[in-house]
Amino acid sequence: MASSYPPPFEGTGEVKEGFLCPLCLKDLQSFYQLQEHYEEEHSGDDRHVRGQLKSLVQKAKKAKDKLLKRDGEDKPETGSYESFYYGGVDPYMWEPQELGATRNHMDFFKKHRAARIDHYVIEVNKLIIRLEKLTSFDRMNIDAGKIRAIEKSVVAWVSDTDVPFCPDCGNKFNLRNRRHHCRLCGSIMCRKCMEFVPLPLAYKLTSGTREARSVTGSQSQSPPTGGGGNVSGMGSRRGSISSLSSVTSMLEEKDDERIRCCLHCMDTLMKRQQKLEEKDHVPDIVKLYERLRLCMDKVDERAPEYIRMAESLNAGETTYNLDTAGGLRMEVQKYYELIDALSKKILTLGMKEEPQPHQKTLQLQRMVRYTATLFVQEKLLGLMSLPTKDKYEDLKEKRKQEQEKRLTQERLIAQVAQKRRQDSEKNRPAASTNGEAPQAPRAPRMTKAGGWLPSSDTLHTCGELEDPLLQQIDNIQSFLRQAKAAQRHDEVAMLEENLRQLQDEYDQQQTSLAIALSQRLAQEESLQQDELQRLEDRERGEREHRAQSQAPGSQATYTWQGSLNLTDTGSLHGEEEGEEEVTPKAESSPLSMRAFPALTDQDEESPPRLRRLGGDVTPPGGEGQNSSSLNPFEEEDSTPVEDPSNPFFEEIQKEHKEVANGKKEYNPFEQEEGGEEEQGQAEGATGNPFEVKEENNEGNPFKEASGCTPPGASTNPFEGEDEEAMPDVDVIEEDLLLQQIDNIRAYIFDAKLNGRLDEVELLSENLRELQRTLQEQKSKTH
Amino acid sequence: MNVTLAVKQYISKMIENSGPGMKVLLMDKETTSIVSVVYTQSEILQKEVYLFERIDSQNRDNMKHLKAICFLRPTKENVENLIQELRRPKYSVYFIYFSNVISKSEIKALAEADEQEVVAEVQEFYGDFIAVNPHLFSLNLSGVARGRSWEPTLLPRTTQGLTSVLLALKKCPMIRYQLSSDMAKRLGESVKQIITKEYELFDFRKTEVPPLLLILDRSDDAITPLLNQWTYQAMVHELLGLNNNRIDLSRVPGISKDLKEVVLSAENDEFYANNLYLNFGEIGTNIKNLMEDFQKKKPKEQQKLESISDMKAFVDNYPQFKKMSGTVSKHVTVVGELSRLVSERQLMEVSELEQELACQNDHSSASQNVRRLLQNPRVSEMDAVRLVMLYALRYERHSSSILPGLMEELNRKGVSEKHCRMVTSMVEYGGKRVRGSDLVNPQDAVAITKQFFKGLKGVENVYTQHAPLLQETLDQLIKGRLKDSHFPYLGPSSLRDRPQDIIVFVIGGATYEEALAIYNLNRTVPGVRIVLGGTTIHNTKSFLEEVTLTAGAGQAERLQRAGGHPNRR
Repeated sequence: MASSYPPPFEGTGEVKEGFLCPLCLKDLQSFYQLQEHYEEEHSGDDRHVRGQLKSLVQKAKKAKDKLLKRDGEDKPETGSYESFYYGGVDPYMWEPQELGATRNHMDFFKKHRAARIDHYVIEVNKLIIRLEKLTSFDRMNIDAGKIRAIEKSVVAWVSDTDVPFCPDCGNKFNLRNRRHHCRLCGSIMCRKCMEFVPLPLAYKLTSGTREARSVTGSQSQSPPTGGGGNVSGMGSRRGSISSLSSVTSMLEEKDDERIRCCLHCMDTLMKRQQKLEEKDHVPDIVKLYERLRLCMDKVDERAPEYIRMAESLNAGETTYNLDTAGGLRMEVQKYYELIDALSKKILTLGMKEEPQPHQKTLQLQRMVRYTATLFVQEKLLGLMSLPTKDKYEDLKEKRKQEQEKRLTQERLIAQVAQKRRQDSEKNRPAASTNGEAPQAPRAPRMTKAGGWLPSSDTLHTCGELEDPLLQQIDNIQSFLRQAKAAQRHDEVAMLEENLRQLQDEYDQQQTSLAIALSQRLAQEESLQQDELQRLEDRERGEREHRAQSQAPGSQATYTWQGSLNLTDTGSLHGEEEGEEEVTPKAESSPLSMRAFPALTDQDEESPPRLRRLGGDVTPPGGEGQNSSSLNPFEEEDSTPVEDPSNPFFEEIQKEHKEVANGKKEYNPFEQEEGGEEEQGQAEGATGNPFEVKEENNEGNPFKEASGCTPPGASTNPFEGEDEEAMPDVDVIEEDLLLQQIDNIRAYIFDAKLNGRLDEVELLSENLRELQRTLQEQKSKTH
Repeated sequence: MNVTLAVKQYISKMIENSGPGMKVLLMDKETTSIVSVVYTQSEILQKEVYLFERIDSQNRDNMKHLKAICFLRPTKENVENLIQELRRPKYSVYFIYFSNVISKSEIKALAEADEQEVVAEVQEFYGDFIAVNPHLFSLNLSGVARGRSWEPTLLPRTTQGLTSVLLALKKCPMIRYQLSSDMAKRLGESVKQIITKEYELFDFRKTEVPPLLLILDRSDDAITPLLNQWTYQAMVHELLGLNNNRIDLSRVPGISKDLKEVVLSAENDEFYANNLYLNFGEIGTNIKNLMEDFQKKKPKEQQKLESISDMKAFVDNYPQFKKMSGTVSKHVTVVGELSRLVSERQLMEVSELEQELACQNDHSSASQNVRRLLQNPRVSEMDAVRLVMLYALRYERHSSSILPGLMEELNRKGVSEKHCRMVTSMVEYGGKRVRGSDLVNPQDAVAITKQFFKGLKGVENVYTQHAPLLQETLDQLIKGRLKDSHFPYLGPSSLRDRPQDIIVFVIGGATYEEALAIYNLNRTVPGVRIVLGGTTIHNTKSFLEEVTLTAGAGQAERLQRAGGHPNRR
């Protein structure tokens, strides 16, 4: 250290700490800044100090670490120091911010308005009161002179001599351009600037105050008007005087039916009148619009509920009742129809009237209609259809089978994992984590599966703590309880069987662990080799197959493989592109799930086989799912699409990766193959007895079930079950047809709206076809 | 720090404040652009706003069943129009929002006009700028300079815009400005004045490191806006012209009716958002993928829908299909037009030479190439002029400059007199005399070594060698190395720490190339958030107009002064 500088850590009075500059003792925020500072300020200084800087910083850091252990005050500093090593943030990803600054002027505004309004209200009221006085006598039957006297008594008239020019237009008054007085404020104007308040309007304007006064007693108020408020009494006099008044009207335009007033008073009165009108008047469009919004709110409220139900039902779950869901669907659809009808009504409001409404009104109506259409389009399309009764039964059965299969697999996997863990030679992470590890890094890319993957991790760490077998036993016990509660006897029986087996297994395992260890090792290795061989063969075969099917798009796949990491939607595109077969599934709605068997049928593959294929070819994928959710009931939220499609996607991804990386990827493969082996074991060991049993056990209850609940109007349930494997266009359930017709109608409507005539044609053709099919069906069933 | 979000939040707050029911949005010309850049029609329709009206439009009907949300700049005309509107209200309730600070006297005038008590809200919401991207804003002002000083009316307007950005982002910054530019200093002072005057408004929660406002002048880097661009957004702006995220395609041969004007908004166009900053080649690949994607879906429409599953698939795909068909045809058209222009104008060659002029230091090769390209008949007038301009800026003081020869060449090519004069204007605008920084010839050793290494390594992409000066400036700023002597602080205090939130404002307009550089800085430098703004966003064409306006006025000024002096004597 250069002697000219005081030793930094043995300062006399105050003790400084943190990132201090060794030369000038300046306190800097971080290592980085210290370095900056040093280079800036002291780069010219003695060179050899620089070497010491680092050791000093080390010392400082050590001292700080000690401090930090005592109290964590300085943590933010270390944080910022570390954050230096992270990358920056894309502006699109900047954290959300609060609303920008605002300033409210309403108080100030109100203060000034209040003063103004008081003045205005007084003016208006004054006019109204005068108007009332002027109209409260029978003008017809009183001669002009009297009227004038009364009028003058209401408001003092401005003297003629004071006003040589019309105050509004500035014309000089003379014999031809005579002065006129406003009866409401007494001011003078010329004839041109004169306005009249017709009596009906005057009555209307004063009606409010009149009513109010009639309560307090109109009699006391009427005397100043002279004529008296008794209308019926005056009627008798009318005939006798009318001739006289008609004479006077010849002399001077008589204000029988109207009251003279100036522009300004008229203006005020008109505003008042407008306000009165608007107060009670609710235009049709508002009424309709309110109903429209009500329907939209209802849909917003009901649709998610329905979608939840439909998803669950389409997954073959029994949480909801099919009929309730059907009812809800009807309800929601009714709302859509209402929305459509209401918005159409709004659109055509006033179209037939003459004159046509203002163009802005029309524009408003168009916009409301457009919004409603958008709403219907967006929401209606998310409205998946329900399975028909038969299909639902099938789904239920399938789900059950799947669950059982998964259960047995889980059990076996758990066993294998247990064995593996104890296997001292194989301490690869893959072994201890049920062969799940190779999936883990890939998991985030599987956007569809996002729902359950995270939970599987936590579950899994729990699992590692205990003996998986014991845990499995626990799980099965809890399933048993649940199944009992749900009165699913077949499942109970099966689970009990499982439990027994597991317990046996556990006992056995404890004893034979040591002996089996070496044996298993050898066995596994040979198996692995076999599997590796098999896997490679299959991969090669499939790759060739794929290469054929997507030769044109092969170049594209590289790019989307890259984009997969970027965005969810990107990966969705990628999946759709990568594999045509998968496209309908990728839509993720169970709706397409039902279309799926038919599609694959065309590809000459039956869905069970495909599913099998999915499970078989890519055990890691299937297994990742299975082992991840130890509790099968937890998976109830996941859509059915997941099961068949996920392994598939995985497979595809894997392949592309492979294509991209060439043969470098041996490690993951080895691990996969490990998983495969487990799978193989699982199926070999338990597949047969269970499957047989399932068929025996479950065949009956289902038949019963279908017997109990009479099948829908369409087909025989047994037939349906048979058909399911290879559904045909001939046997389309009526419900489905009706739904489809509904949907297509919606599209036709939409297409028409947007003027795509070709589409309309196409769609209406479809519609006709569908209707024909429906007719045929009906005739068949009857 | 997200400017788009800031405006969006303001607007959705306005709509929220007005409650349920049918609404109309009353705007002026400028606020219309401000709103339309951040919101699409369908988005805003969903919030029950069904009509969009201009406050100065006469063709408005009484619609008492509508609520009016007024979003206006606090100009005299707007206040006057609003007073008329309130005297005879056409709508039932008025929610009034001014995009900037409004005077008390004007509020009083409005209050007095509101005799029918229709006003329910009077507030200031500081969305007084065009939020182009989350980190990029513009004020859509052109011709801000008259010679070397401000066009008098535009200084207050620019100040308003800039302070509204600060308020919308809730930043009360320290200000640094470019010393060589008097305009930068004036703007800085003007902003500072507002901050002092409206200190209550700027009283935000203090952050550890205060934000920084850096004010720069376009004339310091006249080269960047002269270069052809190869990233999607920048290229679209350069060749087609992006105006409030809209492009006018009506001049494209054989364009269909509904594509005459298209919107390119990263907010709701996923393809655009993903490709905004990719270069032309990558976009080509991506658009191909998009097409293939589309074609895969399309057959379902064309082939007869034979089975129920076909129909179902079609119906299922329908909304995506519809959305996609819009996106596909839009981007295919745009990219197609871009590539047509590229080949028609031989932009590859032009751009290569531009980059050579901007980034390399070989006078003889450069002058040869410029001469060669000027003789090429397919190079457009505009491109020829810009090459000469680049040469003039780059080798302004070179001993063996062939500028006169090149000017002759331009004349021979038949380039209009107006364009030829622009070359001189450009040198006057951004020449060495004006510049505060070393735009072309790095002086210090580090920069020279850097350039040397760059030369050694070879160039990755000849079309994207150039990095705007702004990038270097900000790099130094972030590292705390930006010299106070060139970029002094306004006021006594200066920033001790590494800056975290930075707002850069370029007087005379920013460019999309700079926006990209800032975007990349944001992504790569941790702990720093940078927002770029400009009086406008330039492409070469608008930049040339700006320079012509500036220089033309400058000359006039000087002539006047020259003419004025003798008279006085």
